[in-house]
Amino acid sequence: MAAVFLLLAATLLYQLATHPDSLALSLGPRFTRTLYWTTVQATLSTVLSVLVGTLLAWALSYRTRFVGRGIYIALLSSAMVLPTLVIALGIVTVLGRSGWINEALQWLEFSPFDPFIFGLSGIVLAHVYFNASYVARTLLGRFESIPVEQRKLARSLGLNAWQRFKMIELPSVSGTLPGVSITIFLLCFTSFSIVLMLGGSPKYNTLEVSIYEAIKLDFDLGRALGLALTQLGICAVLIILASRLRKDNRLISAPSANQYQIKDSTMLAGIQHMIIVLFGLIFLLPLIAVITDGMNANFIKLAGDKNFLRALSTSLIIALLSTLLVLFSSVLIAIAYATLATQQRLANNRFSQPLLKLLRFSSTLYLAVPSLVLGLGFFLLARSVGGSQTLWAVFALLTSNVLMVLPFAIAALAPAMVKSANRYDKLAFSLGLKRWSRWRLIESSLVKPELIYIASLAFCMSLGDLGVIALFGNQDFITLPWLLFQKMGSYRTDEAAGIALIMLAITLAVFLLLPHLFASKKAQTEKGYHAEA
Amino acid sequence: MFNTTLTNATRFGRAVNLATALGLAIAVPATAMAADKTLTIYTYDAFAADWGPAPGIEKAFEETCECDVQFIATDSSIGALRKVQLEGDQTKADIVLGLDTNIAEAARETGLFIEHNAEVSSLTLPTGEWTDNTFLPFDYSYFAFVYNKDNVAEPPASFEALMAMPDDFKIVIQDPRSSTPGLGLLLWVQEAYGDKAMDVWKSLAPKIVTVTKGWSDAYGLFLKDEADMVLSYTTSPAYHDIAEDDQRFASAAFDEGHYLQIEVAAIVGSSKNKELSQEFMQFMLSDTVQDIIPTTNWVYPATTTANGIPEGFKKLHLPETSLLIDGVEVEKNRTAWIDQWVETLGQ
Repeated sequence: MAAVFLLLAATLLYQLATHPDSLALSLGPRFTRTLYWTTVQATLSTVLSVLVGTLLAWALSYRTRFVGRGIYIALLSSAMVLPTLVIALGIVTVLGRSGWINEALQWLEFSPFDPFIFGLSGIVLAHVYFNASYVARTLLGRFESIPVEQRKLARSLGLNAWQRFKMIELPSVSGTLPGVSITIFLLCFTSFSIVLMLGGSPKYNTLEVSIYEAIKLDFDLGRALGLALTQLGICAVLIILASRLRKDNRLISAPSANQYQIKDSTMLAGIQHMIIVLFGLIFLLPLIAVITDGMNANFIKLAGDKNFLRALSTSLIIALLSTLLVLFSSVLIAIAYATLATQQRLANNRFSQPLLKLLRFSSTLYLAVPSLVLGLGFFLLARSVGGSQTLWAVFALLTSNVLMVLPFAIAALAPAMVKSANRYDKLAFSLGLKRWSRWRLIESSLVKPELIYIASLAFCMSLGDLGVIALFGNQDFITLPWLLFQKMGSYRTDEAAGIALIMLAITLAVFLLLPHLFASKKAQTEKGYHAEA
Repeated sequence: MFNTTLTNATRFGRAVNLATALGLAIAVPATAMAADKTLTIYTYDAFAADWGPAPGIEKAFEETCECDVQFIATDSSIGALRKVQLEGDQTKADIVLGLDTNIAEAARETGLFIEHNAEVSSLTLPTGEWTDNTFLPFDYSYFAFVYNKDNVAEPPASFEALMAMPDDFKIVIQDPRSSTPGLGLLLWVQEAYGDKAMDVWKSLAPKIVTVTKGWSDAYGLFLKDEADMVLSYTTSPAYHDIAEDDQRFASAAFDEGHYLQIEVAAIVGSSKNKELSQEFMQFMLSDTVQDIIPTTNWVYPATTTANGIPEGFKKLHLPETSLLIDGVEVEKNRTAWIDQWVETLGQ
């Protein structure tokens, strides 16, 4: 992993040396402004996402019994894998100048609002949509693991909601929040498809979009390089800062079984219900918009469209290959992580700590090398090495997908592997179990839920990503998001809506149903295992 | 338990085999079809669309050439040029179609294009005689803002009037870096206002809903009512009138005059079908193609055909003042003007 990073940096630096004027170009006033607005945008997005997400997690942790809570939370988790382009399309349908809300307002004889969906407000709104759900999902796990006794005690002391939040809930997430915030900041700082679609004008371009434009609009590779290196530098610094802050490395936490519902004043409960319903509506409306818009599409015509069928099969195959690669590499990294981090293995070796740090850094590599920088690296490599562009495209896409999912995959898998090491190392040593047979007998069933989760994550994120493909897509090599982007751009709104619906359906089906399909099997095997044991 | 894991392992193995096989299948280019010769033309999406000029031209040319004509659509006109540059030696393009005189010099400087040697005496362009032997014109029109008469009762009659409109009056325009209409508007304002051009942009900025990559996305947003006016052509209302029998659309006549766009095509130097490409270039000026263009690309033909232009075009507003900056002059300033434009919109 680190090797990929070094290779990339080396390629970029080498290219920079041959384009000496690129840095001078990139440091003009236009560049400073890009940096300024990107920072403003990412800060706003992060603050709002964390605020909204915390509020929602807080409400959800108190309201533990309402109809559809399970589905609600499952949908929140899915926000991470929903294709950004599809949701952006749904948001425009709901909030556009002649969108649903405005039509409802006009119908109620209120004056409609001015269009705000393109520009800073649109970008921030879409970012909050995705990231607030992510924050809520992460913090909910923390809030739910607060011991019931603490809450009971707080109640009997007569603390009000704010005091309780300050004294109980906030400390429980203080280890999580900085890491989560920096992750969100980086994701928004390097945002691509949302800014590309909702940016409105070059004003709010992120560095990623500027890189894309420098390549695709100006064909100014020197400028693209300068931008890419600057972004690489900024993100690397932020990640190193983040790794110091992030005591709690878990990006996602497993749900717990805390079902204790605290009796609260009706007003507070009312507020909590309102938050849940309001956010639910905001979350669901774009999804419903995608579904209703998509229903009107002519699927028979779409099914006969050669390009659509090619994009669909390419996307499915790429997603499948990415999933396998992610599973493979995350298992290897997690094993290495467990070996370096546990006492009975190598934790006391003096090389372990630096190696562990390197491992942690490389698993968050994607945040430093977002898809366009990576794409540019591959693009320059392809130009100097030669060979089939389609093959390069496949290679670049797979690499980018794997790097994109790895931070989340490792975050889910590494703790489970450490747990397994702590629990079974003695037994395995005494039985003389090694490598493959040990993996087969112990880890493969122990970390199966995590693996299934990672697989669905990898599949969905790979299926929906519009990044590298924006550089490499051509008539011979198209994926669903790329086709969707093109259809959206050529006012085939009808076909775009159809494709969006299909992408949404595949994503939700894989992400929500797959774990259930396997979970029931897993429960059975686990039972069998316990019986044998 | 042992059995389950074992079957899982085999299943996994099979999945890997399947995936590898499928992976190889997509890596094989899909264009390896058997045809004598394939003429590949890169153009912007609206030209290549089912309802655009490409299908008719393709059919007509294939009847005579014993070849397979393939139009490859890019999301914008300048995008087609960038695509050839990006692909470098590996490009499949024989011809790039849909650039205009404003970007032609930039294209010429890439050194990617060769001479077309077409017979151009039939051209009847408003600019008179054509002398460029690399870029061949095939149609023209004037840039204009198009509006829906039902939504806009009194359209602005000049840039001054547009600037004076309230800020909730919204326009959608194209990016001058990717789209020839976008570049056209930039030059239009530049030619009409010179040193004060950026002041015009400053007051236009709050009225711009969004800047799109190509003409199609902008026009699509306009038709979805996301804007009151869209940057298009004086000839666009003819589409709604003739093809849809819808008379609600019109172009706003501006006192400053309207900027002229002459669309051109050029042969890519790395083409393996140079002769065929030259035949095609000549074919673009034939009556067959020139009669297809008005009612598919919705602009004026570059020659006067026996059939003449369609009736509906005669109703259109024909600008009294036509503006055009010399291509060489444009190229000298293009990057600087675009940088200023990006800066101005970015403030």
